[in-house]
Amino acid sequence: MFLQTQAVTKDFGKLRAVNKVSLEILKGDVHAIIGPNGAGKSTFFNLITGYHRTTSGKVLFKGREITHLPAYRRCKLGITRSFQITSIYPKLTVYESVLMALLSHRKVTHHLFSSAKKFFNEDVWRILEDIGLADQADRLGDSISHGDKKRLELAVTVGTEPELLLLDEPTCGMSPEETEMTMGLINKLSQERGLTILFTEHDMGVVFGIAKRISVLHQGALIADGPPQEVRESPEVQKVYLGGAA
Amino acid sequence: MQTAQIEKNGTFRKGWWLVLLVVAAVVAPFVISEFYLAILGEALIMSLLALSFNLLFGYMGQLSFGQAAFYGLSGYTVAMLITKAHFNFWLSLLAGIFMAIVLGLLIGYFCVRLRGIYFSILTLAFGQLIFFVIYKWHNFTGGDDGIQGVFPPELLKSPVHYYFFILVVFVAATLILRRIVNSPFGYTLKSMRENSERTEFLGVNIGRYQLIAFVIAAAYAGLAGVLWAPFYRSMAPSSLMWIKSGEPVMAAILGGPSLFFGPVLGMFIMTFFHAWVLGFTVFWPVVMGALILIVIFFLPGGILGFSQEKLKERRERVQGTLEQGNVGMTGDQ
Repeated sequence: MFLQTQAVTKDFGKLRAVNKVSLEILKGDVHAIIGPNGAGKSTFFNLITGYHRTTSGKVLFKGREITHLPAYRRCKLGITRSFQITSIYPKLTVYESVLMALLSHRKVTHHLFSSAKKFFNEDVWRILEDIGLADQADRLGDSISHGDKKRLELAVTVGTEPELLLLDEPTCGMSPEETEMTMGLINKLSQERGLTILFTEHDMGVVFGIAKRISVLHQGALIADGPPQEVRESPEVQKVYLGGAA
Repeated sequence: MQTAQIEKNGTFRKGWWLVLLVVAAVVAPFVISEFYLAILGEALIMSLLALSFNLLFGYMGQLSFGQAAFYGLSGYTVAMLITKAHFNFWLSLLAGIFMAIVLGLLIGYFCVRLRGIYFSILTLAFGQLIFFVIYKWHNFTGGDDGIQGVFPPELLKSPVHYYFFILVVFVAATLILRRIVNSPFGYTLKSMRENSERTEFLGVNIGRYQLIAFVIAAAYAGLAGVLWAPFYRSMAPSSLMWIKSGEPVMAAILGGPSLFFGPVLGMFIMTFFHAWVLGFTVFWPVVMGALILIVIFFLPGGILGFSQEKLKERRERVQGTLEQGNVGMTGDQ
């Protein structure tokens, strides 16, 4: 059992954002969570990463209950997220941003008297090359293009060497070419680094292009869960999507 | 390769300036008057306070308005141990720094939970609290009379000797702090300044790192305090007041908080300018206010920050033309 949620529920006042969602994510999968706006995708994500606390229900990671662990502890266990609104370091360089992720993950942030630049040189460059940011290494985070910021976000996330990677709308605001590239990247990460990836996405092309498994949320509840083909043919999903869109 | 070379040259040049400054500081006592030597000593001590403040402000992104509390408390500790308990001088200095660290842990524990203006206000509140305790506790601390007769040992009684003592401590403390800000710990502080939420999601326990930084800053403010008391031969309660806490804030803005030596430059300018202006007028704050306004409007990023920015722009322009002129060459300039 890799990641499991047992009837997790999140209330914001009287609004029930996530309603008793029980879900399993298998190791090595590329797993998509879809649903209309306000379906509770981001909130569900936040319950897994620890950004929000569950109102009820349990979250288990590799058989261990993590429902009440704070975000940084979950990160240390191997659960990392990227942010929907790109969350970068504006005045650190691309290189420094990725280095920061490695410093933290490899537990050397308490080193007071050694030079940070001497740490993990090769690993930082490997990640930058994998993600295609090597030529931007010396530029400040806020001076690169939107697509590059998204990739930097991903590079920083990979820098924490996670087992489970949560991506919130990884292709949001990208051009078709950038989207294509990011999809390739996600595939690469899952295959070469053996990452389990859980992502939300509104672009159905992306979802059906790379997801091995899809879960559909609607008004906070899970209405379908399975391989792409099965989900596509589910009458309930069609009602939510086609009924809502038509 | 090329950038590596330029970087190497850059640090070499920077190191050169520092060596030059240290040499100037060593020669100074034999060149300048005793009055200006005292001002120089004061500038060095206060620069430690400015560095203490800027570890929190420039590197961690939190504006503390209470650094004078650590500075004053450690100064008072030394002053009282020497005058009342006739304690060993060197042990008194250590005790002073120890007190600053303890107070740093105590105040830090409450303050690091807050961010932005709330952090500043709480540090200000704690600072004023310590000030009032020392100000009102007349029997124990001397209240508004302060404490006089804080003499250093025979060896350090001459102004020149004490000046060299300050200089050695200053250089050592500065080198150590510079290592700290360039260490993985220093990077963690910077990343928290840039985006603390992101850093938390990298697995960093934000509160703990803020507390460690807070305590280090307290120790540096304490170091300034323990050097000050025997230097000035006395301690006054005004050394704990919020106005004192404001000095490193102004020094950082003046010199530039984004650079390690920015606040040091700011403090030097303030201290010397203060001594000089007092020869003409007692309305020093007006002059200082005007200076701050000029820097904020015309030199954003502080004097050092602004000039560094301009230099970098120029270097990039020069490098740009060099690269254009050398297309196809293997770059052996």
